[in-house]
Amino acid sequence: MWQVGLVTSAVATMALGQAFTFTIGSPVAAQDSRSKLAAFVFRIEGCAEPASAHVDGTAEGLVQGARTSVALKLMPMSKPGVYAVYPSWPAGGDWVVNLNGMCAGARAGALIPIGPGGFIRASSKFFPRPATAPEIDTALHTLSQGRHP
Amino acid sequence: MAMVEHLPSVEAPDAIWEAIEAELRAPRPTRAPPVRSWRLAVAATALVALAGFATWRLAHPPGTWEVRRLEGSPAVGARSISGVGQVGIGEWIETDSGSRAMITIGKIGSVEVAPHTRLRVLATRPGEHRLALARGEIRATISAPPRLFFVDTPSGTAVDLGCEYALNTDEDGFGLLRVTKGWVSFQWNGLESLVPAGASCPTRPQIGPGLPYFDDAAGPMKEALARFGLEKVERRALDVILAESRVRDTLTLWHLLFRVDRSERARVYDRIAALTPIPVGVSREKALALDPETMTHWREELAWTW
Repeated sequence: MWQVGLVTSAVATMALGQAFTFTIGSPVAAQDSRSKLAAFVFRIEGCAEPASAHVDGTAEGLVQGARTSVALKLMPMSKPGVYAVYPSWPAGGDWVVNLNGMCAGARAGALIPIGPGGFIRASSKFFPRPATAPEIDTALHTLSQGRHP
Repeated sequence: MAMVEHLPSVEAPDAIWEAIEAELRAPRPTRAPPVRSWRLAVAATALVALAGFATWRLAHPPGTWEVRRLEGSPAVGARSISGVGQVGIGEWIETDSGSRAMITIGKIGSVEVAPHTRLRVLATRPGEHRLALARGEIRATISAPPRLFFVDTPSGTAVDLGCEYALNTDEDGFGLLRVTKGWVSFQWNGLESLVPAGASCPTRPQIGPGLPYFDDAAGPMKEALARFGLEKVERRALDVILAESRVRDTLTLWHLLFRVDRSERARVYDRIAALTPIPVGVSREKALALDPETMTHWREELAWTW
């Protein structure tokens, strides 16, 4: 019996040992036809119970020099812990998606710039905490200046 | 009363009786009560609705799709479409150099037909909407659960998985599938290529779907892909593909695993491993043996890098 408990603890530790974070991908990664029109999809990693994790997001924008923020509705996909982000922000301007997550006390954040061709993977940033306001502003400024791969 | 009893009796003239009898024979106009008027109104409305439905049904026979002229004179069978027409199972739609048309695919989407295109309707059932593209180009926009819309070509079938795409082919079966939203599975004779948004896949007669590739792949890689399978020595093309591939090009490399022999497969495996970590649950031995469960799991994980 003690061996079972040891294995269970080890598995849980391994799951929690991997840092809680996000992985982003194009809609095909969700393997769910509902993601067809999504800007991108993401999954949470390093969370022992993905179904119990809390995630939310906003689209942070710079439109004609003015900062604006739009709350996003993250659509759960058929696989646990996988969500779709739909482009519900206005056309025009520069936009960065700001994701926040919490799992068993661990936090995770991500900033995903959106370009003309879709989400910009190379410029996306991931944090073990929510992104700060200066980090969001920097991401927007970089995007608006065209300084991204 | 006594005075009435003393009045003389007089015979009525015959004309009076004739008039009375005529009145008795004539139909009596009656005024319908209010509840009967309401029923008549309802019946009249129903009749009008039925007539309207019948007219619509004559214009839209069951099992047919609407075809709208966009430009020029597209034809359905032998008849030209000047505005809106219908196309049924087995009928051909054809456009010349100056024509374009739009087909409404049931309730799930639409197909734009480019000039110089010939295609045929094969099925219009709710569970199967199927076209055969003999030549030319179509652009499909489908909003439906996957595997309801199919396009047969001389070199394979495009299976919609929820997407927008352009598909062209010539009469010999050489063509190109380019996906702009969602993803498409192109299948022929047991061979399958998964093509996500931003990627294209050539089609070839007697070969079926080629290797899918992202449209932003390096030029030399795309040139090598075009040659792959056509040269006597494929190793040179493979060398270029492996050398030029990026992380995102694991889309191409994963499909390539199925198209080379075992000795070359190891090279492809090693290249993928150099670009992105091999996921837990994928062993080299099983991958080289193309174990179905292993390959499916690997593809699902690689998709997060595409």
